[in-house]
Amino acid sequence: MAAQQNHRAGGSIIDSLGEEIVRIVTPVSICMFLVVILVAVLNSGSSSSPPTINTIATIAYSETTSDSTWDKLKGALLNALVFVVVVTAVTFLLVLLFYFRCTHFLKLYMGFSSFIVLLFLGGEIALFLIRKFSVPIDCFTFLVLLFNFAAVGVFAVFLSKMAIIVTQGYLVAIGMLVAYWFTLLPEWTTWVLLVALALYDLAAVLLPVGPLRLLVELAISRDEDIPALVYEARPVINHDQGSREYEGQRRAWRRRRESGNDSESDHNIVTSDAEVTAPLIQNRVSSAADGQESSVASTDNSFLEGIGLGSSGAIKLGLGDFIFYSVLVGRAAMYDFMTVYACYLAIIAGLGVTLMLLALYQQALPALPVSIAFGVLFYFLTRLLLEEFVVQCSLNLVMF
Amino acid sequence: MEASQSSSNPSSSAATPAPNPNRNSNSILSSAPVWPTIDGPLGLTEEESLSYARRFYGFGYALLPWLWAVNCFYFWPVLRHSRSFPVIRPYVMKSAVGFSVFTSLLCSWALTFAIGGEQLFGPVWDKLVMYNLADRLGLTGWI
Repeated sequence: MAAQQNHRAGGSIIDSLGEEIVRIVTPVSICMFLVVILVAVLNSGSSSSPPTINTIATIAYSETTSDSTWDKLKGALLNALVFVVVVTAVTFLLVLLFYFRCTHFLKLYMGFSSFIVLLFLGGEIALFLIRKFSVPIDCFTFLVLLFNFAAVGVFAVFLSKMAIIVTQGYLVAIGMLVAYWFTLLPEWTTWVLLVALALYDLAAVLLPVGPLRLLVELAISRDEDIPALVYEARPVINHDQGSREYEGQRRAWRRRRESGNDSESDHNIVTSDAEVTAPLIQNRVSSAADGQESSVASTDNSFLEGIGLGSSGAIKLGLGDFIFYSVLVGRAAMYDFMTVYACYLAIIAGLGVTLMLLALYQQALPALPVSIAFGVLFYFLTRLLLEEFVVQCSLNLVMF
Repeated sequence: MEASQSSSNPSSSAATPAPNPNRNSNSILSSAPVWPTIDGPLGLTEEESLSYARRFYGFGYALLPWLWAVNCFYFWPVLRHSRSFPVIRPYVMKSAVGFSVFTSLLCSWALTFAIGGEQLFGPVWDKLVMYNLADRLGLTGWI
């Protein structure tokens, strides 16, 4: 009995806040870890010629190792510009479709794109792994397993009320697959693209004319959810409150609702990146239809002071954030594990800062800029300074 | 919900008799669940879960044993407490049976293929194994 009372008195904001943060940091970490594993396993042999891909991101310029630094930089900037323009155009298209209430079409598109990603990208990466480890699996079993994986994934993304852990697992899987695919881009293009997308995210969410902000305002004014690929953390159930409140809590968690005591402001931001896969076309302009988001949303409870992450709150992080964090860490893994550790810590720190700002400002915020800024900064600092230091210390048997 | 209610029992005095085992299984003194899904209060209600269980069971016949497995996982309280949800239970039971049968067949075929290898199958093995097929059809090239 005493333990129960302690639990009820001690279940303060610190516990629930820590729990909320852990529930969003864990899947981000798992996604990054899986991408690092994939990169380490699949790219260990062929370091000289990694498989290059022809996508929208490399349509302007294909990097070769023989170009000069200035050419590579120019080419990368051009690629990133083209990509950001395409993403902006598609996001405005999404805002338009949402404005004309084509919600059913958007949901279908989401389901279709996740099916494509899970089936084709998942199949590709599985084939890479099978070839690497010479797994003696036959084609029927492989096809059945792949089809199962993709079909249940579509159910998980499409249906609003699947088992929470299954939906979360599939969203992490989709993020991992798309992130691995992005790490196949040439090096300079990847870094410039990350910085460009961070800046785009900042502009699109905070500027009043930005497409993501328009989308959020539309969604709030209509009190609807945006049909998009969003990772929602399981809400922390505060033991002080009775269980009767939770009969409708799941719906409140999914939709916005003005209840008597709480004022929940749910913000949800979507970027739709329309790269369409066309595997049979010979010139291989390949792309993956993908529903991305680049922002963080949360609900708050006016009872709790300070940070404002309520007990009924559920932090939502867009799948685009998962993808680009993992791309950064995957790229760092292509150099060395030291950069991986540094970039991982930088990204988690950035995510923590973003969550704090979220609690402070109580509105939708872009989740990419802070983390990508820290990540890129720490990657280059590690590569230029820390590595030299560590190597010299090891050579002289001072440390490590 | 169960935790907060069962905690009232230890604090009561020793004179309180044990709960009557002949009571209705949904009485609050037994540990019968109210929520048929594994998510508890965040999941589906009983009415909605019937349509979900039926749909998952139906779609699983399209060579989707994993969907049957997810069905069983999602409605785990229905399987565990055998008297609680009489309407949903047949679908979940049939999903469980279907999943076990399909998985055992698939596993036996896959293991035969993997372990038997060329000795058992002859030259057909090379034609069926996935990495050769991928190389021949160029499946890994188009990414």
